[in-house]
Amino acid sequence: MIPAIGLLVGIVLGLLFQPTVPVWLQPYLPIAVVAALDAVFGAFRSVLDGLFNDRIFVISFLSNVLVAAVIVFLGDQLGVGSQMSTGVVVVLTMRIFANVAAIRRHLLKA
Amino acid sequence: MGMHSAPRRARPARTSEEARFRLKRTLTPQRSGTQVVITVLFVVFGFTLTAAVSGNESESILANARQSDLVSLLDDLAQREARLEAENSRLENARETLLGGDEYSALNEAKRRADALGVLAGSEAIIGTGIEVTISGNLTASTLIDAIQELRDAGATAIQISDRGLAVRLVANSWFADSSSGITVSGTALQVPITISVIGDPSVLVPAIEIPGGLVDTVGSGGGEVTVSESENVDISAIVPLPKS
Repeated sequence: MIPAIGLLVGIVLGLLFQPTVPVWLQPYLPIAVVAALDAVFGAFRSVLDGLFNDRIFVISFLSNVLVAAVIVFLGDQLGVGSQMSTGVVVVLTMRIFANVAAIRRHLLKA
Repeated sequence: MGMHSAPRRARPARTSEEARFRLKRTLTPQRSGTQVVITVLFVVFGFTLTAAVSGNESESILANARQSDLVSLLDDLAQREARLEAENSRLENARETLLGGDEYSALNEAKRRADALGVLAGSEAIIGTGIEVTISGNLTASTLIDAIQELRDAGATAIQISDRGLAVRLVANSWFADSSSGITVSGTALQVPITISVIGDPSVLVPAIEIPGGLVDTVGSGGGEVTVSESENVDISAIVPLPKS
C-alpha cells in the first residue's frame, strides 16, 4: 500500500517539477521504465504465486533496470542501439503480458 | 522472514478468494526496512515515468528524423530560399527600373508587351523562325482543327493559313468549315493545296505535326500529301484588323 502511495507521490512530483531528461540518459530512460514496469508486474504475480520476497523484489527491480540500460548502451556502442532497444522492449513487453495473464488467471480464474 | 515463524510454504493461490486475500495482505502497510526501500524505489519510478513521458512529448519531429531525411529537408529549404532570392532580386530590379529609371524604360517595357500581345492577337505582322506545312489532297475542317491545336500546344506564337492567293491569320476566334473545293477559314474560302505558316521552335513544332495519328498520318491515309519545311524567315503578313472601339 505504501509503495503504491509512493508511486503516486513520485508521479505528482514529476508533474510538478517537469524534469528535463539529460541528453545522455534519453535513450536509456524509456527502456529502464519498461524494465521497472516488468519488475512490478512480476512482483504482483509472485505475490499471488506465494513466492513474493521483498528482498528479491528490490534486487530484481534494480538489476532489471540496470541490465536493460546496459544492454541498450552496449548496442549503442556496437552501432545497433535502436535495434537493441526495440529487442529489449519486445522481450519486456512479452514478459509483462505473460505476468498479466498469470495475475488474471489467479484473480479471475479465467 | 523471522526464523521463529514457521516457514511459509510457497504455492500458488488455489482459489481467487485466496489470491485476493494474499494481494490485500501484501498491500496492507507493514513496517520493515525493505518496505521503505521499495517505497523509495516506487517514488523514483513514478518520477522517472513522468520524466520519460514528458521528455518524449517535448521531442519534436526533427529530433526523431533520420540523417538522410534531415539532409533532404535542408536541401529543400536551401532550394526554396534560392528560388525566392532570385524572384526577390528580379522584382527589385523591375521596381528600380520603373521608379528611378527614365521614362523611356517604362515606355519600352510597355511597347515590348504591346508587341508580344499584338503577335498573339494577330494585329502585327511578324517574320521569324518556324515551319511551313503544305497540304495537298483531301482535307477536312476537323483534321485542320486538330492540327492547329497540336501546333498551339507545341508553343506556336503565330499561325497563318494561305492558298495561292489568299492568307488568313489565325487568332482565338478563328473558325473552320468544309467547302466544296477546299476549306473556309473565318469566312475566307481557300483552295487546296494550302500552306500553314507557323512561328515557333521547329524542333517542337515538327514532331507535333508528325506524331502518330497527327496531321501527316491523317492526311496521308486520305490520299493527300504533306510537306514540312523549316525556315528562319517564315513570313506571316496577314493581320486581323483591330476592332474599332
